[in-house]
Amino acid sequence: MMKTYTSSVPGVSRLDAGLDWLQMLTGASLILFMWCHMMLVSSVVISPNLMNAIAHFFEATFMAQVGGPLIFLTFLVHFALAARKIPFRVEGQSTIWQHAKMMKHRDTWLWVVQAVTAMIILILGSIHMWTVLNDLPITAAKSAARMQHFWWFLFYMVLLPCVELHVSVGFYRIGVKWGFVKADQRKGFKRFESTLFTIFMVIGIITLIRFLMFG
Amino acid sequence: MDRQLTFEIFRYNPERKGETPHMQQYTLEEKPNMTLFIALNRLREEQDPSLVFDFCCRAGICGACAMVINGRPNLACQTKTKDLPDKITLHPLPTFKLIGDLSVDTGVWFREMYTRTESWIHTSKTFDPTKEEERMDNSVAEDIYELERCIECGCCVAACGTARLRSDFLGAAGLNRVARFVVDPRDERTDREYYEVIGNDEGIFGCMGLLACEDVCPKNLPLQNQLGFLRRKMGITALKDLFKKK
Repeated sequence: MMKTYTSSVPGVSRLDAGLDWLQMLTGASLILFMWCHMMLVSSVVISPNLMNAIAHFFEATFMAQVGGPLIFLTFLVHFALAARKIPFRVEGQSTIWQHAKMMKHRDTWLWVVQAVTAMIILILGSIHMWTVLNDLPITAAKSAARMQHFWWFLFYMVLLPCVELHVSVGFYRIGVKWGFVKADQRKGFKRFESTLFTIFMVIGIITLIRFLMFG
Repeated sequence: MDRQLTFEIFRYNPERKGETPHMQQYTLEEKPNMTLFIALNRLREEQDPSLVFDFCCRAGICGACAMVINGRPNLACQTKTKDLPDKITLHPLPTFKLIGDLSVDTGVWFREMYTRTESWIHTSKTFDPTKEEERMDNSVAEDIYELERCIECGCCVAACGTARLRSDFLGAAGLNRVARFVVDPRDERTDREYYEVIGNDEGIFGCMGLLACEDVCPKNLPLQNQLGFLRRKMGITALKDLFKKK
């Protein structure tokens, strides 16, 4: 129930605004990173040498050694910030689940998708980053060797759609939530977001297949 | 041929001891131009006088007949049965206090919201009844009126995921109310003062952007645009404040 009386008067805080800004900015940075990441990894489809050259560039400039852990940190911070809105108690979870089922509303369901994929990405993404960053330099051969291992292949078959879903829904959400996308542009933007998701999924799967056929 | 409509209606009277919430089924022959408002009245008159639901204006102005129709909050008087399938499920609006069956108390919620948002023109000018009213640009008046069209039906609040998760959330109706005063040049409140009211997770930063409010509003209020506008405005106010502080 809403409070009908004033028991105390808290000072005005910039905390909620600050956390909301940070949630959006870390999210936007991770989206940008994921797009670049896809370009690096999918370059193997053109040529493994190209992927090696890009990876080498990141290592020679120390971007992988410094940027990698920084991305990991951003990833964890983004999770902690966004988790403020995710119900962790069964009570809240069943409320939002029933709500989504009742409403049959696409954007409400997309939020559930965001929350569920967030949990999967937190675990699988951490494992992925830990493995890759502990085994620098990144090379096409090493990535391919990992992918040719059955369990790792399964691992990426789960992680890939989760990341692509989370990224594209997150991209859409930032646009409509912060008003960068107006009501009359929403439908078109949603279509754009779905197209983006499809394109990245196709590129991702082609890349996975290329790694499987490597060597 | 007239369709035979099946109604699944939520029944529960919290005042009656020992009663448990349950769904009750009714059937009714569909008539041309039948709205849910007409159907419910016929059910009450012809089949079950104990059925509780609210209505007043039957023209989408009073907001009293809002209910959850096949999962979506909407006004019964503006919903034509011909747009619905043979089976119609009706629930009361969630979030609000249940009075009985399909009737909820939106009044207490909105009164609270008005108090919290200080929903009146804040001005230092003293009102002089003998003087001619101050003139306002027509486009500004139209902007205010656009947001003033809210009929307080509560559909946006019932459709809101955040409001379901936290009862202290102002909801689109409350935030739209604040946006209405932000637009009004007669209100002398500064951005910082508005920030005090909505610059938190109970206000604009609690909104998760699910936009069900925008999609269910029976009056088609520009809620998505207003929420985005307020988030940016309040976000920038907080940033300005951060850099101003010594």
